[in-house]
Amino acid sequence: MDAVEYLDLLLKALLLAGVYAAMAVGMTVIYGVMKIVNLAHAGFLMLGAYFAMELFQRFHVDPILGAVLALPVFFLFGMAVHWLLVRWLPKSDTPTLASLLLMFGFLLVLQNVAYLVWGNEDQSILTPLTLSSVQIGQISIPKVNLVVFAAAVICMIVLQIVFHRSWFGRSMRALIQNPYAAKIVGVDDERTARLTFGLGTAFAGFAGGLLGMLFSFSPDFGRPFLLRSFVIIVLGGLESVSGVALGAIMLAILETFGINIPLPVYWHGWSFHYLPPSYQQVIPFALLVVVLLILPKGLASLFNRKWKAA
Amino acid sequence: MKESFTFVGKQIRRSTILALALGGIVTLGVGSSRAVAADDTINIGVVMPTTGSESKAGGYQKEGIELAIKQINDAGGIMIKSKGKKLKINEVFYDDSSDSKKSASLTERAMSSDNVVAVLGGYSTALGTAESVMADRYKTPWITTGAGATAIFGKGYQYAFGTLSPVALIGTTTGEFLGSLVDQGKLKKGLKVAIVVENTDHGVDYVQGFTEWTNKHAGYFQVVLNEKFELGATDFSGVLQKVKNSHADIFLSDAHLPDYITMHRQYLQNGLHHQMVSYGARGPENAARQALGAGTDYIFSGIWWSNKLPYPQAKKFATDYKAFTGHDVDSWYSAPAYDGMRILAQAIEAAGSLDKNAIRDALKKAQLKDSVLPGQVLKFGANGQTEYPFVITQNKPDNKVDIVFPKDAATGDPVAPAPGK
Repeated sequence: MDAVEYLDLLLKALLLAGVYAAMAVGMTVIYGVMKIVNLAHAGFLMLGAYFAMELFQRFHVDPILGAVLALPVFFLFGMAVHWLLVRWLPKSDTPTLASLLLMFGFLLVLQNVAYLVWGNEDQSILTPLTLSSVQIGQISIPKVNLVVFAAAVICMIVLQIVFHRSWFGRSMRALIQNPYAAKIVGVDDERTARLTFGLGTAFAGFAGGLLGMLFSFSPDFGRPFLLRSFVIIVLGGLESVSGVALGAIMLAILETFGINIPLPVYWHGWSFHYLPPSYQQVIPFALLVVVLLILPKGLASLFNRKWKAA
Repeated sequence: MKESFTFVGKQIRRSTILALALGGIVTLGVGSSRAVAADDTINIGVVMPTTGSESKAGGYQKEGIELAIKQINDAGGIMIKSKGKKLKINEVFYDDSSDSKKSASLTERAMSSDNVVAVLGGYSTALGTAESVMADRYKTPWITTGAGATAIFGKGYQYAFGTLSPVALIGTTTGEFLGSLVDQGKLKKGLKVAIVVENTDHGVDYVQGFTEWTNKHAGYFQVVLNEKFELGATDFSGVLQKVKNSHADIFLSDAHLPDYITMHRQYLQNGLHHQMVSYGARGPENAARQALGAGTDYIFSGIWWSNKLPYPQAKKFATDYKAFTGHDVDSWYSAPAYDGMRILAQAIEAAGSLDKNAIRDALKKAQLKDSVLPGQVLKFGANGQTEYPFVITQNKPDNKVDIVFPKDAATGDPVAPAPGK
């Protein structure tokens, strides 16, 4: 491969990272504040895709606007789910079996409701953007991926501002850092948890709308993304939004380049071999194991350590 | 302390009850139609994915089977000599949720607890492979209507049958079709071929079939890339980069429907173009054409059945199917399932009893002479798998599809090479 082809792959990896970050960020904020591994996240992603599709097909609403409209709708939906189900879970500093069971059960309910409503057909959103691309020399960049990347970046920036500039964001951070101290200084943990669950669900719905523009989907949609979201938030440090971005970039680069860069192998002497594409899905899980062994607090802990040392 | 512990205990109990209740709702929702044992019916197990990633194809296969059951029951049922009367079929259906472990256990359940005389099931190859081990274990005839990998039938099973021709034959037929285009002067000799297939027995068989053909016909094509990808992948940019770098003239893949849609979407977004493009048995599905529009034009596919087949019984099947389901038969999935049920009914009648060994023996000899499948006769080979010819279809503009190979079944001329961007 020449330099242009490497650049082409790098651009595609960065665009993929935008998608990954958008889908993982909702799961991260919920884990950070509530210590719940939200397995229903895949269901919210799937519903977000159907939401954008319904708006597009029935009212000709652009799917990007549809994804944006998913934010308030899924925020309210998330708050309702919290009020109905999640608030009854026991409070804990670590994920509990009850929370895993509850969210997994809720995922199955969401999937089966989707089967009843939309059936098992593969659906997709076809717009003039879907198949068009921007050509820069020999490099072809899909327009829809560019739009999704831009939307994901804006979403992350807004979330960072909310995190650092608002009372709600400060409450969330306080609960992430030390829930007991946060309660002592007057943070309403119930209310913050409810808002956080709403926010996480809103971002999942938003990401689902964006993913619906990139992939065909069915009620089973979301499971492969759930696993990747998991890897990304572990890479990113489980509680850090900027860490999510870092984790997403790392995962996307490794997945994309992993099968296109020859690796040195010693077998009766040194030789170079490509990782077969069928092993591409091994990469995230191998990465997960390595990070959990070496950096259990994620990649962000490396930078935090440096900053603290400085 | 005791009070707070009790409070937490209550919370745990309440959340656990909630989780269990949700699980219960799901179990009821997914459901199944279990057998009610009766002397005047023949219980036949049907294990198909109607939820999960294979639900679309599994749903079509279920519809094909149920249409055949309805037609047989409407005609009074199957004559059972030992009972001296016709018995109606009672379908015992299980949804395996596209999960191979569940598929195997539900097949086992149907064979061991539901008093079935045979089981139809096993879409796709992965699920069929999981189910296949049960047939000989429970000495119950099992017909897969959706698994075509030869590996299933190479193990010496005595109770396993399949209504799909071997997948390797798609590869071979693809080679024959492309070779015929070279002979007609539509394609040049010695074109480079890039092959990217799913990492399953299905994909392996496809490559084997195509490479066997190219080895026998030296000089026609040169395989410059042969790679595999994992089922259900979300990103194909890396493997498509390899395809681009191979500078191939023809792109051949073998993929399931969701992977076909995702890969071809990224193929088009990356501005790739080849003289001929195929995704194995996928191509004309409505879902793909809706997802990618004109982007699927000129894709060709090797399929087990097409609604364009000129046989009267195939036309009648398409009409009956639409009347039964309310939608067109827009893909091949339901036809092998429909004939699978019909040949089973014929074998049960020939056996003259509900004895599973007698039905197995009758299946080995059965010939369905008004089959809707290519060749018009369905019968099983010595290994239990059928072997009828494939048809090659090509997508044309405006959502049209033509059979383009073999010539005697063709409804239109092949467009080769595919027009450029």
